[in-house]
Amino acid sequence: MLRIYQRLLQLYPGTHRRNFEDEMSAVFEELCGDVATKALATRLLFYVREGSGLLFGAFREHWRQSGIRRFSMQGEFRFPKATWILMTIILAGVVTAIEKGEAISASYSRLNPPAGPSYVPGQHALLSGIAESFLVIYGLGLLVWAVAFVLRRSEAH
Amino acid sequence: MEAAPLTEPVLLILFSLADQPRHGYSILKDVEKMSDGRVVLSTGTLYGALRRLLDDGWIERAAEKNTPRGRQAYKLTALGRKSLQLEVGRLKHLTRLASLRVAVRES
Repeated sequence: MLRIYQRLLQLYPGTHRRNFEDEMSAVFEELCGDVATKALATRLLFYVREGSGLLFGAFREHWRQSGIRRFSMQGEFRFPKATWILMTIILAGVVTAIEKGEAISASYSRLNPPAGPSYVPGQHALLSGIAESFLVIYGLGLLVWAVAFVLRRSEAH
Repeated sequence: MEAAPLTEPVLLILFSLADQPRHGYSILKDVEKMSDGRVVLSTGTLYGALRRLLDDGWIERAAEKNTPRGRQAYKLTALGRKSLQLEVGRLKHLTRLASLRVAVRES
């Protein structure tokens, strides 16, 4: 059983293994000694608990190391100032580009009036499309945050 | 910003380390004993919590001579002890409030 346990430990990120692999194996070995004389059902429950604990633990450690934790698990998290500035510049650029495009479109249509039925450029459609995209991204962000928050609160044991 | 309340396993681990340094196996057994067998932690859960507590500076590895890596002990830091005291204060307040409300309801 110890060998299977050590195999499962390989699912953890390298840093966690370096810090805790020996300790976890040693503790598991001691616990195995404790349950060796217990009933089969108790032993099975122990192995299931240890296996699921390892899988959840490995998942949680990978999740944490992927950096998503920084968005969700620390109450004091703030976007860096550079991010705010960059986001503002990008937003200003997008709005300016839209306005310039509209102005060019309007002046072009004055110089060359269309022969067929008049067509008003889809300003509202474009803006609503951008708004919808922002909403979708915001919703996805909220969803990721909620999953990370639930994972942290669950402590899966 | 105020810290979120601790989860029960983490709280029990901190209680376990409050009186003396302990290694992993000892913590598991102590948590089980304190909770009358209701909370039985797996090694994965225990070492995940220990890693977070180490990262937050609430616990540290106890310096012991000739300790094999499998028997590494942990102890509370000053920050961990202070945080635990705050949490105990919060729980006391909740318990007192709950007792008062239950008493009012019963009377």
